[in-house]
Amino acid sequence: MMERLPEPAGLLLDRSEPVAFSFEGRRYQGFRGDTVASALAANDVTVLSRSFKYHRARGIHSLSGLDANTLVQVGPAPNRFADREPLAAGLVVTGQNYWGTLRHDRMAVFGLLHRFFPAGFYYKAFYKPRWTWPLWARMIRRIAGLGSVDTAAPHGYFDKQYLFCDVLVVGGGAAGLAAASQAAAAGAEVVLVDENAALGGALLHGRFDAGGVRTADTRTALAGEVEADERISVMTETACLGWYADNWLPLVRGNRLYKLRTKALVVATGCLEQPLVFRNNDLPGVMLASAAQRLIKLYGVRPGRRAVVATASDDGYGAALDLLDAGVEVAAVVDLRTDAPRSGVGDALAARRVPVHAGAAPWEAVPQRKGPGIARVRVAKIVEDGVCAPTVDSFTCDLLVVSGGQAPAAALLRQAGAAIAYDSRRQTTRIDALPAGVFAAGGVVGAAGLDGVIADGRRAGWQAAAHAGLDAGPEPAAAPDGDAPATAKGVWPIFPHPDHKAFVDFDEDVQVHDLEDAIAEGYDHVELLKRFTTNGMGPSQGRHSSLNAVRVLARATARSVDETGATTVRQPIVPVTMGHLAGRSFEPVRYTAMHFRHLEAGATMMPAGLWLRPEYYGEPARRQALIREEAKNVRDNVGIIDVSTLGGLDVRGPDAAEFMNRMYTFAYLKQPVGRSRYVLMTDLGGVVVDDGVACRMHEDHFYVTATTSGVDNVYREMLWYNAQWRLKVDVSNVTAALAGVNIAGPNCRAVLETLCDDVDISPEGFPYMGVREGHVAGIPALFLRVGFVGELGYELHVPASQGEALWDALLEAGRAHGIRPFGVEAQRLLRLEKGHIIIGQDTDGLTTPHEADMAWALAKKKPFHVGIRSVRMQAEKGLTRRLVGFEMPGVGVEQPKECHLVIREGEITGRVTSVAYSPNLDRIIGLAYVAPDQGEPGTRIEIRVDGGRMVSATVAKLPFFDPDGARQEL
Amino acid sequence: MTAPAEQTRRSPLYRALAEDGARFEALGDHAVARDFGRDAADEAARAEALGLADLTPLPRVGFKGWNAGPWLAQAGAEMGEASNRAYPQADGTRIARLAPGEALVLADRAGRGPLIESLRQAWSMAEADGCFHVARQETSCWLLLTGAHAAGMLAKVCAVDLRPGSFAADSIAQTNVARLNAIVIRGDIGAVPAFDLLADSASAVYLWGALLDAMAEHDGAPIGLAAIGALLERG
Repeated sequence: MMERLPEPAGLLLDRSEPVAFSFEGRRYQGFRGDTVASALAANDVTVLSRSFKYHRARGIHSLSGLDANTLVQVGPAPNRFADREPLAAGLVVTGQNYWGTLRHDRMAVFGLLHRFFPAGFYYKAFYKPRWTWPLWARMIRRIAGLGSVDTAAPHGYFDKQYLFCDVLVVGGGAAGLAAASQAAAAGAEVVLVDENAALGGALLHGRFDAGGVRTADTRTALAGEVEADERISVMTETACLGWYADNWLPLVRGNRLYKLRTKALVVATGCLEQPLVFRNNDLPGVMLASAAQRLIKLYGVRPGRRAVVATASDDGYGAALDLLDAGVEVAAVVDLRTDAPRSGVGDALAARRVPVHAGAAPWEAVPQRKGPGIARVRVAKIVEDGVCAPTVDSFTCDLLVVSGGQAPAAALLRQAGAAIAYDSRRQTTRIDALPAGVFAAGGVVGAAGLDGVIADGRRAGWQAAAHAGLDAGPEPAAAPDGDAPATAKGVWPIFPHPDHKAFVDFDEDVQVHDLEDAIAEGYDHVELLKRFTTNGMGPSQGRHSSLNAVRVLARATARSVDETGATTVRQPIVPVTMGHLAGRSFEPVRYTAMHFRHLEAGATMMPAGLWLRPEYYGEPARRQALIREEAKNVRDNVGIIDVSTLGGLDVRGPDAAEFMNRMYTFAYLKQPVGRSRYVLMTDLGGVVVDDGVACRMHEDHFYVTATTSGVDNVYREMLWYNAQWRLKVDVSNVTAALAGVNIAGPNCRAVLETLCDDVDISPEGFPYMGVREGHVAGIPALFLRVGFVGELGYELHVPASQGEALWDALLEAGRAHGIRPFGVEAQRLLRLEKGHIIIGQDTDGLTTPHEADMAWALAKKKPFHVGIRSVRMQAEKGLTRRLVGFEMPGVGVEQPKECHLVIREGEITGRVTSVAYSPNLDRIIGLAYVAPDQGEPGTRIEIRVDGGRMVSATVAKLPFFDPDGARQEL
Repeated sequence: MTAPAEQTRRSPLYRALAEDGARFEALGDHAVARDFGRDAADEAARAEALGLADLTPLPRVGFKGWNAGPWLAQAGAEMGEASNRAYPQADGTRIARLAPGEALVLADRAGRGPLIESLRQAWSMAEADGCFHVARQETSCWLLLTGAHAAGMLAKVCAVDLRPGSFAADSIAQTNVARLNAIVIRGDIGAVPAFDLLADSASAVYLWGALLDAMAEHDGAPIGLAAIGALLERG
């Protein structure tokens, strides 16, 4: 391992804790505090990845987790930024997107064939002849994509959390720290977010004075102030994904996505150092000045041995001084400017006798013959913007540090609706106006000089606190004069080369000539150019390429950069994993009071809306037999089924009957107390949407049941209409309040008689469709005499907390009678034998009462119910289909399935909605929609079953079983 | 001590509580978790840090309708005009005013609620005329979340700002907790932050699990009435 630089270099390292890891199968060692990228750099590993298109070797570029050069596979996780990934013991890291080895990628041959891969080639290739596409597709799928997904990887635990504050400060640099302190001093609850491991932003690595001392002192003072303030919550290693309406911002830290709402936002995200565009500007060993400074100051890594610094501003001078301090020989500083103003760092550099070549540019980085890095840099004089003189100087080096100026990191501000313009003099963007509640400070709004940035931060913090409604006191003092460096005129940073390889976008290998070719083809709008060339569409999202692409476009179309515009910056600003977006999933599930009794009895549970219901009881291998046994026991003996999931609604008040009369199709004004009546609900279009029974408990009180999955909608509709009708009615959803058990079968009365002594359950005392209140096993209960399964039966509705006790009591009392629970499947079979429909299964989104043969449930004389106009119009127009019963022999025919089609002479006339073999009737029975003229009993219909085979069935009169209803009215 | 299954009324959570080691005591015809087998000081310390109790067996009742406010007032309830506020009563019960025409009456944390019983006795459809009984005892499970980390934990499952500075004592939020409709009432026990949560009783097992999962980060644990009693004694 390369020796690390002595302290204070390596600010983030814990040198007492070595950390072993592997990269590409080789073992390396770093320190706690390293990232994977810094540890590899410390081990002289310069190639981290292969580029997407040409498979060019790529190394450290920004060292800030902002570019695709450092994407690696870490264990099962693909596409991790090596310069963000904390080093951990035993980490297994590999490169991505190569065939062979990372150092010797066979697919690098694509680079030699680059002339065949112009921008947008994939829009034009592979289509002719058409038969070749499957071959291309297979090959493309094999080589496309970055990293590999380990489908066997264990699930991670991700979750989400809401956060609230008065002031959110994004960016923990000088401006952000000052803003947070100022806002907190005004009494604001502040959250300060920074993506780095330590506070300080550019103060961590930048050089703001010739001596290089002031930067660290300032950071220590500002960060100390923030960390000591209890009102400020500091969140480092936290990425802000974007801005949404009303200052709602998602943040990611670790495995958690935070959803933060703030009264005021301060964006202090600083600037992104921009690259220079010249031939081979992507070679390992070419890196941004800030990256070299990060290596030195944060990780104690010497970035190279002999360096050339190419810069468009004073930033490169600071970097050159840092390189010298780190023991790197600086062969030359190449300053693109011809009129650079005098500065402290410039004077310091001159004092150390580093040659400065003003008005020059790096014309070409020359690659090593046998290695992946650079051998030397060829430098040429700039003749005019982007054009160099043919004469060149050449400097041998292994490190080329570039600084193409700064671009504000204004993504959040753009999303918030800030007015952003391009300052052509300074060759960078400028914030002109901010929306309410959003403030910006520091480099992102062009503040210059350390004092100026800090003062600007305090100003923004003060404004934000005031906006949050706090008494922020007098406005903080402005920065003293003389600190800000002179804002020199910006310089053109793009130098295309006749032999190409001048990359604008590293992610997608987009070169200057690719952009120019696309523009020549007519893709001369900034958004079109982006999509056609894919410039800015990679993981870096154009942070280092969009501005230069716009510059190329502006020049090619003879417009200003401002006129040319900018592409949209959408959320998320930084990559986010699917795990973060999914988070911890909340999937409510409802259990009836008897749920665990079902499990104990071996039930297989099935979903019914949010509920779980027993499908049947016993071994899944005996499913069919068990369902038939359960059904038979109800017909022959007695069974109980948990019907707690049925909806329950209390409709109460002086206008309750009138309300019921309006909501449902039947007549309820004269329904006697103590009786139940079928309810059928239609929507405004006359479509059947729900059914149940209404029990009149009192003149002013109806207890209404609804279907399991329909009750929430029924309740909502009732509230909606009641709000309009303003009747004297209150509606309550009491579904969860009541547990329900249907006890059915010829012996059910005998069972109940042993448990019930305050209700006369004789046929005379409690007739069919009667309603009573009393007790079962001492439990207060509502008794409904109903017949859904076609047998003598009672629904018992009791307080949910006593449902389990009721279930236990019924099973105990029924033991002598052979009672057994039955599940939903047996119930479906039993009701099918009776021809009872299930809303949602035998009806669909268009079923009318007449189609479902339910005209009997329509009151003929009343003036109104919801949907009455449509229902009557449908009746006048006549039917287009009918729901009928059908039957088939029990043996020797293939049983249709639900949704199999009814076909006549090649035309679809309907479909099967329910079907089952009835052991009781020894034949297949079902319900199906058919053409109106196919509805007469005895009509033969043809049903297309699996495999396209046709089977015959006969339309049958309903019900199939006990047509007189004698059994249920015992 | 008693076993929940010996009682006619059973909390939907009695199995979950038993799995966590709950020891139950009778409360009327219910069984309620008294403690979880730890010593009293430990139980109280957990309640101070982050505890979750099942108060579902404790008495509560609801009333709604256009005449709910006046009827409750004439029946002896004292509450202000503001909705989404809890109003402590002289007998230790609290009335949570959910809307101008809806209120929820909660027993104290020891399960005492004379007002609840008197309201139940006094109410009838005819007498109350426009004030309707709501079966809150059955529709809603009642959980109590206590401790210094309670608000922070709730931020993982609820979008409302429930921090002490933002959600004052006796405030009510009718909101969504872990994707369930829920009523959240701030009802600190002395200096210990506490939140009553009332949600769909059929989803109680789900909610209990979701909350314990969210509490794990803070070493939160189930607590019983003994721990709550200890906090109440301290005031």
